[in-house]
Amino acid sequence: MTDAGAGEGAGGRGAGGGAESRGAGGTLVVGYGNALRSDDGLGWCAAARLAEDPRLRGATVLAQHQLTPELAVDMSAASLVVLIDASATDEAGAISIRRIDAASEAGSAWSHHLEPAGLVALARELWGASPAVFTVSVGVASLDVGDRLSPTVEQALPDVVDAVAAIVEEHGRA
Amino acid sequence: MSRTIVIDPVTRIEGHSKITIQLDDRGEVVDAHFHVTQFRGFERITQGRPVHEMPALMARICGICPVSHLVASAKAVDDILAVEPPPTGVDLRRIINLGQIVQSNALSFFHLSSPDLLFGFDADPAVRNILGVARQNPQLAKDGIALRRWGQQIIEWVAGKRIHPEGIVPGGVAWPLTAEVRDRILDGVPEAIAAVERAIAWYKTDMLRWEDEAATFGNFRSAFMALVDRDGNVDHYGGWLRVVDADGKYLADRVDPKLFNDYIGEAVEPWSYLKSTYWKAMGYPDGIYRVGPLARVNVADRMGTPRADEELEKFRWRVGRVAGSSFHYHYARLIDTLHSIEKIEQLLRGPDILSKHVRSIAGINRNEGIGVSEAPRGTLMHHYKVDDDGIVQWVNLVIATGHNNMAMNRSVLQVARSHVKGTTITEPMLNRVEAVIRCYDPCLSCSTHALGEMALHIQLLAPDGAVLDEIAR
Repeated sequence: MTDAGAGEGAGGRGAGGGAESRGAGGTLVVGYGNALRSDDGLGWCAAARLAEDPRLRGATVLAQHQLTPELAVDMSAASLVVLIDASATDEAGAISIRRIDAASEAGSAWSHHLEPAGLVALARELWGASPAVFTVSVGVASLDVGDRLSPTVEQALPDVVDAVAAIVEEHGRA
Repeated sequence: MSRTIVIDPVTRIEGHSKITIQLDDRGEVVDAHFHVTQFRGFERITQGRPVHEMPALMARICGICPVSHLVASAKAVDDILAVEPPPTGVDLRRIINLGQIVQSNALSFFHLSSPDLLFGFDADPAVRNILGVARQNPQLAKDGIALRRWGQQIIEWVAGKRIHPEGIVPGGVAWPLTAEVRDRILDGVPEAIAAVERAIAWYKTDMLRWEDEAATFGNFRSAFMALVDRDGNVDHYGGWLRVVDADGKYLADRVDPKLFNDYIGEAVEPWSYLKSTYWKAMGYPDGIYRVGPLARVNVADRMGTPRADEELEKFRWRVGRVAGSSFHYHYARLIDTLHSIEKIEQLLRGPDILSKHVRSIAGINRNEGIGVSEAPRGTLMHHYKVDDDGIVQWVNLVIATGHNNMAMNRSVLQVARSHVKGTTITEPMLNRVEAVIRCYDPCLSCSTHALGEMALHIQLLAPDGAVLDEIAR
């Protein structure tokens, strides 16, 4: 069982291979959410842009529906992880960046997906991994059925991409 | 005065449901119902759509096992087109379907059920989860993650993406397999086999710990149904329907799956959106049968691959030729997974697996089509009717969780009778009622069509609806 090609990928797909940008740079970026629920698809849109962004050359960029335990494998090989998600509680279009403490715990029992802290804890428990983990979230304006972002969140998308790139660049200098 | 206990919702299954337990005047359990409380209605949504769209639409029913619906739907459309996919197209569909079986079985056993098995059903829920498993038995957690990942990778590499893949189409598959992908999958086979065999060894070592649960978790006589090939081996893609009773006697064998309506009826109860299917010859509700991994190992003569057959022999030595307790779904699920990995390897080593002929093209040649396959949770049936232009007029889906509905209800009743004492809700009862449902790994998203994750809520109600006791977590 190899590690190559995991994840839904951030770009178009074809037979026989993953389309995600994957490299050995030690940076993992995961945009996640439901791409058929308007602004919940923010993570997918951001991942698609970041996969093409030269500032993230060498990074692994994935788009996922959820944070699943399998991502702990990818996380264990990274020194920096950035998770991009929509937020139902923040003001629409507002971007918030949070560092996930590697010592924090997964607070709740779960079914087939994890919260960021749970994923960090799983990677730490199973592989001794302790990457720097950041979440970048954006407040939603709409979670209605639809495959397009609301104007408010669409407008915030370039800033989300820049925010992720800044985290990656800063981590690279550290 | 009779009372009702309500568990709403049930946790660590796929979809929304609740459980009510009816008590009589003496506080004894007299009945129990597993309610599926949400509705999505794909049978109606798809009416009016071109039939070629059906596989892609039906895959959207579920994010856990979209491949299963893709396979059954594509087969139903094949039937309407009156085409036979090229042999390599069929083999690639089989590989994708088996990848789905591996990843879904891994999710069910390792991620959803192993916390109960490792820590015990009464352990603190704060510990009884995947993180707890990672701490207590890291190899078990790693194996579960690796198996699920490998199954998902197979789907992605062969069918285009892990969730809602596009690689299975009417008439076959959308593109041929490359040697590079074949070899990449084959490279993972030894480790996948080692992972599931470690889990089987662990399970067998600890089996005695769960004797009490095995005795009361849906331990009753019923029929079992699954697909088998011409030699009586498990067949996850095609073959014939076989139904055996609790003693292993054939109720039906070599039944063309397209004739399933002659044998299976569907009943609707007012308390659930989930239909109850039943064996027509025995009537409703007596015609109870089970499907899924336990049914597959009970129904088939053999698994059809060497390592899985060896484990099947041990399984039958331990729990009998026809295992009656639904607790043994866990054990059967592991053997089913082992077989799937071996079968994937067999198919990939086939001489024509890289053939470029993977799809047959045709127009609308029939107004009705049926596709049947084995999903991780059991036999899955798609039945469509179209007009002469191929526009969908009518759809019926018979889903594994529907086949198991009556068995799940009976299982809840049995557990409740063993653990409900008095008129208060106890943690041991709550934990076991949930766990018995989890044995079936019900996927309510497709059976009824729900979405999301559940918390837990139990109410004890008087006949007038007054809440006598309540637990939420």
